[in-house]
Amino acid sequence: MSTSNCKEALAQIVDGEHVCDNPEVIAAYASDNSFDPPKKPLAVVRPTDSSQVQALVAWAYKTKTPLVPVSSGPPHFLGDTVPAAEGAVIVDLSRMNKIIMIDRRNRVVIIEPGVTYNMVQPALAREGLRLSMPLMPRATKSVLGSVLEREPITNPRYAWSLTEPLRCLEAVLGDGSRLRTGEMAGASISTSAGQVMDYAPLEEVLEKRRKIQETVLYQYGPGQFNYYKLVSAAQGTMGIVTWASLRCEVLPEVEKFFLVPAPKIAPLIDFAYRLLRLRFHDALFIVNGARLAFMLGENRDQITRYQQELPPWVLILGVAGRGLLPRDKVSFLEKDIKDIAQHCGIDLKSNIGSVHGDHINDLVLKPSPDPYWKLRSKGGCQDIFFLSTLNRASEFISTMVSEATAHGYTASDIGMYIQPTHLGTSCHMEFNLPFHPAAEHEVQTVKELYQSASYALSGQGAFFSRPYGMWSSIAFGRNPMHTDVLRKIKALFDPHYILNPGKLCFQDTP
Amino acid sequence: MGLEDFKAMVHRCSRCSYCKWIPFAHVKSWRFAKGCPSIEYHSFQSYSASGRLCISLALLEERISCFDEGLPDIVFKCMLDGCCDVACKVCRYDLEPLEVMRNLRFRLIDNGCFPIQDIPLIDNLRKEDNMMMARKADRANWAAGLSLKDLTTEKADVVLHVGCRLSFDEELWRIPQTAVTLLLDAGVDVGILGRDENCCGGRLYDMGYRGEFLKYAENNIDAWRNAGATTVVTTCSDCYHAFKRLYPEELHAPMNVLHITEFLEQLIAKGKIAFKKSLPLKITYHDPCHLGRRGEPYIPWEGRQKKIRGQILVYEPRKPRNNGACGVYDAPRNVLRSIPGIQLFEMERNREFAWCCGAGAGVRERYPEFSFWTAGERIEEAYATGAEALVSACPHCERNFLDALDQRGDSLKVFDVLDLVREAR
Amino acid sequence: MPLEREVYKELESVVGPEHITEEPATLFSYAYQWMAELVPDVSGGGKFFDRPEAVLVPGGVEEVQAIVRLCNRYGLKFHVYSTGWGPWAAPPSGGQILLDLRRMNRILEIDEQNMFAVVEPYVVAAQLQAEAMKRGLNVHISGAGAGTSVLANACCFQGGGPDCIYFDSPQNSILSIEWVMPTGDILRTGSLGSGLGWFCAEGPGPSTQGIIRGALGGSGGWGVVTKIAIRLVHWPGPPVMPIEGTVPAYRTKLPADQFRATFPAFPSWQSFADAIYHIYDSEIGYIAHRQYVMWGDELQAAFLKIVSDPDRQLCDLEELLHMPEIQKLTDEMRRCFQLILVGMTPRDLEYQLKVLDRILEQTGGWNVALVNEPAMQQYVLLYMMRLCFKNLNFTATGGFIDTYNSVASPDIWASGEIEAGKKLLKKYAGRIADAGDQAMGPIAGQGGGGVTGWEDFLFYDPHDPDSVQAAIEVSDEGDRLKAQQGRPPGGMLLGLARTTHTEEKVRAQKLVHAREYQWQRKLKQIFDPNGIGSGNYLWAAEPSTNGEST
Ligand code: SF4
Ligand code: SF4
Repeated sequence: MSTSNCKEALAQIVDGEHVCDNPEVIAAYASDNSFDPPKKPLAVVRPTDSSQVQALVAWAYKTKTPLVPVSSGPPHFLGDTVPAAEGAVIVDLSRMNKIIMIDRRNRVVIIEPGVTYNMVQPALAREGLRLSMPLMPRATKSVLGSVLEREPITNPRYAWSLTEPLRCLEAVLGDGSRLRTGEMAGASISTSAGQVMDYAPLEEVLEKRRKIQETVLYQYGPGQFNYYKLVSAAQGTMGIVTWASLRCEVLPEVEKFFLVPAPKIAPLIDFAYRLLRLRFHDALFIVNGARLAFMLGENRDQITRYQQELPPWVLILGVAGRGLLPRDKVSFLEKDIKDIAQHCGIDLKSNIGSVHGDHINDLVLKPSPDPYWKLRSKGGCQDIFFLSTLNRASEFISTMVSEATAHGYTASDIGMYIQPTHLGTSCHMEFNLPFHPAAEHEVQTVKELYQSASYALSGQGAFFSRPYGMWSSIAFGRNPMHTDVLRKIKALFDPHYILNPGKLCFQDTP
Repeated sequence: MGLEDFKAMVHRCSRCSYCKWIPFAHVKSWRFAKGCPSIEYHSFQSYSASGRLCISLALLEERISCFDEGLPDIVFKCMLDGCCDVACKVCRYDLEPLEVMRNLRFRLIDNGCFPIQDIPLIDNLRKEDNMMMARKADRANWAAGLSLKDLTTEKADVVLHVGCRLSFDEELWRIPQTAVTLLLDAGVDVGILGRDENCCGGRLYDMGYRGEFLKYAENNIDAWRNAGATTVVTTCSDCYHAFKRLYPEELHAPMNVLHITEFLEQLIAKGKIAFKKSLPLKITYHDPCHLGRRGEPYIPWEGRQKKIRGQILVYEPRKPRNNGACGVYDAPRNVLRSIPGIQLFEMERNREFAWCCGAGAGVRERYPEFSFWTAGERIEEAYATGAEALVSACPHCERNFLDALDQRGDSLKVFDVLDLVREAR
Repeated sequence: MPLEREVYKELESVVGPEHITEEPATLFSYAYQWMAELVPDVSGGGKFFDRPEAVLVPGGVEEVQAIVRLCNRYGLKFHVYSTGWGPWAAPPSGGQILLDLRRMNRILEIDEQNMFAVVEPYVVAAQLQAEAMKRGLNVHISGAGAGTSVLANACCFQGGGPDCIYFDSPQNSILSIEWVMPTGDILRTGSLGSGLGWFCAEGPGPSTQGIIRGALGGSGGWGVVTKIAIRLVHWPGPPVMPIEGTVPAYRTKLPADQFRATFPAFPSWQSFADAIYHIYDSEIGYIAHRQYVMWGDELQAAFLKIVSDPDRQLCDLEELLHMPEIQKLTDEMRRCFQLILVGMTPRDLEYQLKVLDRILEQTGGWNVALVNEPAMQQYVLLYMMRLCFKNLNFTATGGFIDTYNSVASPDIWASGEIEAGKKLLKKYAGRIADAGDQAMGPIAGQGGGGVTGWEDFLFYDPHDPDSVQAAIEVSDEGDRLKAQQGRPPGGMLLGLARTTHTEEKVRAQKLVHAREYQWQRKLKQIFDPNGIGSGNYLWAAEPSTNGEST
């Protein structure tokens, strides 16, 4: 299809001004900060509501045009929004940024994909709520993007599963039809005169449900399958989510942060296990000095200073009081946690040098101010992340360090982040490799290191559960049956392979 | 009552499977959570109490027939040990799974559907009045040389009934011999029926031969009456169950029946037995089903089931519950505890939810492999306590354990409570 | 129709002759089920559903796979169960074989540090809980109780229960799964599939767990889940729950500074609902359930006295109901639920008790004093902690179903639905037990709170055809009433009994709406191309254009 034909067709669906093939814009979507090969899309389209998305997909289905859904703003790092197929249209969902409903009593919010944490958190805070968040996401990060991609949240106590806080959603499937899930499934269909009608408008459905005390919290189904699981970590390949309901936390009335410094990670892991076991924590994760410095420093110099000041490892612990007796809660937790710390032979501190607990709350547990922290150190950053269990963290760390050393990359520059998740049954491990994008040699080194370390870590037991870029061949290569099943599911929900084709294990059209 | 009378009950089984396990409250491990040897060994649902309830219904509804090949095995590969019954009654006040299974057996036997293994056994029984394939003439050999009253000619307050197993199992003769010594030493006026002692019939009853049982029961009761005995003491738990529960139930003949351990408990309490030696031994005690959960006293009841609040099922008047609460558990333990040096460890499954030894209701005779497997499971459980010896109060259990151990090439010691009492005196 | 000899021989060669049977008596024992009499289209009003043609008891995943492959080869349908309690466990129709998984009964691993266990289908909750407790851990037990399969509850059926507030629903607690697909291929999900252990449920990429279970699991008609890892939670109590008391009134004495059973009770349904929101927001509670009202708000106090006392019997009910102190207690307990507070430390319990006091203060509620009596405290702790008395559901009459259920936000408790349910039951009282409000259910169906609701119990006598008929009528009338208000149907159990055994059009359509249901049907076509999964009608019915399934 020619660009002009395409543009014309798109303009029938979305207001002309929101269809764009301006070379600068095209270029912006043609590559990101990953090593994935760039590819120019044909056009960028910015729908404003679910029915436009539906019409777009229906058109793409008919014309077999690849669509790449993008919900977060730049900078992107994972290659998932860079088209893999020729002639793709970017579906930029940033204009779909409505907060559709906040229900304080039931602690649930419904949002569209263009909503960022900076948009939703203040609105929730006014109601006494907040959303569990990943660690210091960029300001442009779409909340739904983060949740759907199963990014870990900093409070493992609320990670009831790896998909929390995701509950019900609506998705436009690859044939242009819509699917609502969980308790919003059957509930929102209106039938009349023997005809299956399309879904009633969301607001109408919500209003009706409110009257019968129904919520938007039950995520399972429809029927005997869980679509929300199939669309998770799918990089937009299984459907375009147009809204979702998310479970919120009660905004704590009292919150305290502790920093636990340690020269070695082992005692921090023991301590973390104990806290996870008792659920005596809110935010709970371990970072190395470098990673904390990256997040705290506003510029290169500050980062270096922090790096010098901070110990090799820091466990960050938040305790919070909610509900009726928040102070009592924090006070008993403090006492018990001190006992536990003493038992583990570690010190709970409210500050390490100039880094105070409040810093953590104000800075690290909020969306990142611009420029995004990953770029502040050297202008580029390649991450390696995967899932494992906390007890294995040290093994992966030493592998990463020896890989770095072997590749001539300064190991002390690696940011390290260990995030227990799913109530402590697993942990997300992340290594950040900052580099100067302009220094070709450095780029080459990091690229090789990234590849070689990924293989080494995988061989050691790292589970690339969200397999971006090169990890897809590692991850899917290890589980051919899962891959086969996924392809069959993909063919069902996206029969023409128009949704972000080429990602994950969906290289070839069936 | 016949099987027909249980139709309502069978309709009301919830198929919850509690009857396959020990009461869930008491589950302490994966390994020893199971309660029903039958289904554990045979796997299919029909080999459980609820399975046999379903089969009873299928029979009553003529979906299957007594003469279906294979049916007897399903019905009889069960010790009627009653763990299922206890577990069911943890929640149910209106079901009697054990009763139903017993009546299912009667139905089969009455129709001539018995396992062929029974033929020599029953033939011998009819001729020799014992279940041991032995000669009646040898029945009193164990008592040779003991100066005991012969109750066929003399009278005594107490009749000691030793039962078929102890009469003919030479290796176990020491048990009744000890009993006699202890009783005589304590000054008890006791005697035996000797060669004229009959099978108690209890095992026959459990095997489904109710008619034969009645014959023996009547004979025994007559003999005791003639001997002027007021109390029957027995060294066998099977016999105890027959006398304590079945005789009054089937023949309305109440007797003062005591298991030897109950009698000993009394004698020890009265200071009539004293221990001189310490026995430094770690032991565990196996509750014989017939002394424990099935050894509850029989309390006559006549009444009806009625409905209140619309449909709630109650008995009028109050019906005694046989749920294992009133079995004999403490007497043997108290005797053991009174022996200096003994350390008693409990197995996970004990008292009303003890695992069966495998010997009951004809299984040892009919299906030895299953019987020994069941015993083996108990032996494993005994080992798990760290005990050096497995102690019981029933010769059937003890014989089954000894044989199973022999088969396994194992050396765990097996004692009767009386053995330890004797050793410590 | 009996199996072809050739097919039988081949199946036999997989499991061995001792693990396959066509013995009629045995086959009937697999057809007998709770509620069969309520689906007269199939059972003729009796206790038997269709019997299987043969029963196999496979010993492991390889055997299961071989059986499933043979089924595909010969176009033979199979149904599968673990502990097999409920109408959905019987083969949905004739001509099928049944796999009884009782030999696959191992706990393969308990990872103490990472808090999960790996189990096979026939591990029941009581077993896993006992083993977990030795390691300071505990496992979610489904509302169906300690005797049900951990795996089946999590993957294959419903699985919710009283402890979801702290433990979460079991769906969320599943980590990796090993699943023999209806094709006979084996799918290993999450980290397991990559040979990396059991810790992770999802990925790589989209989670294939999504096709194994949804709101409901495959109910025996969708391949065979042969192993799962299940998440555990902390158990701050002793390694073995100490049991005291005479059968059946067992009790457990747990450290009083960390364990407390409470019965919060309220003056109105509004305050009841408000209290639930407070509990969610303040994050207290290990187990929270409106349990004993299953006997009816008019009878629960008396029933509790009976079951917790070894010397009492059901025939004492009338006498108890006449006692002034029981009448007072009945009133006190009318709007109460059971809340088990467990302190991870003594300070924690102290804090939770203080919060509870504050909640009661703010809502005008009270803690029913009965639960503070030591024996009752211990009885309730055991009951709720192990769910070892769940067959008490059947105690009153031998049969129960639910009728006027609600699952919604906590405000549902104050919506008038409780009274509506009670009124419905009263209308039929006599033909069913006359017990009052029987709305039993979880205070939270999800971790940290969320949806709550109840099952409106109904006690009927399975032996009495009129009572059976009444149960059916109540359930149907309840559904009609719910439909009039635009609410989902109320009678879950009968609904499931029907939809798993008959092409009950209305039910199937209500349970799984046609529009979304098409995706499930398509998944079925893809992953069970030969249609050998037993195909209970949840799977098999096809939606027609008028929105009803056909
Ligand atoms: S016999 Fe009792 S325990 Fe067994 S299934 Fe029936 S009701 Fe349950
Ligand atoms: S009596 Fe024993 S073997 Fe027979 S069904 Fe009951 S528990 Fe099983």
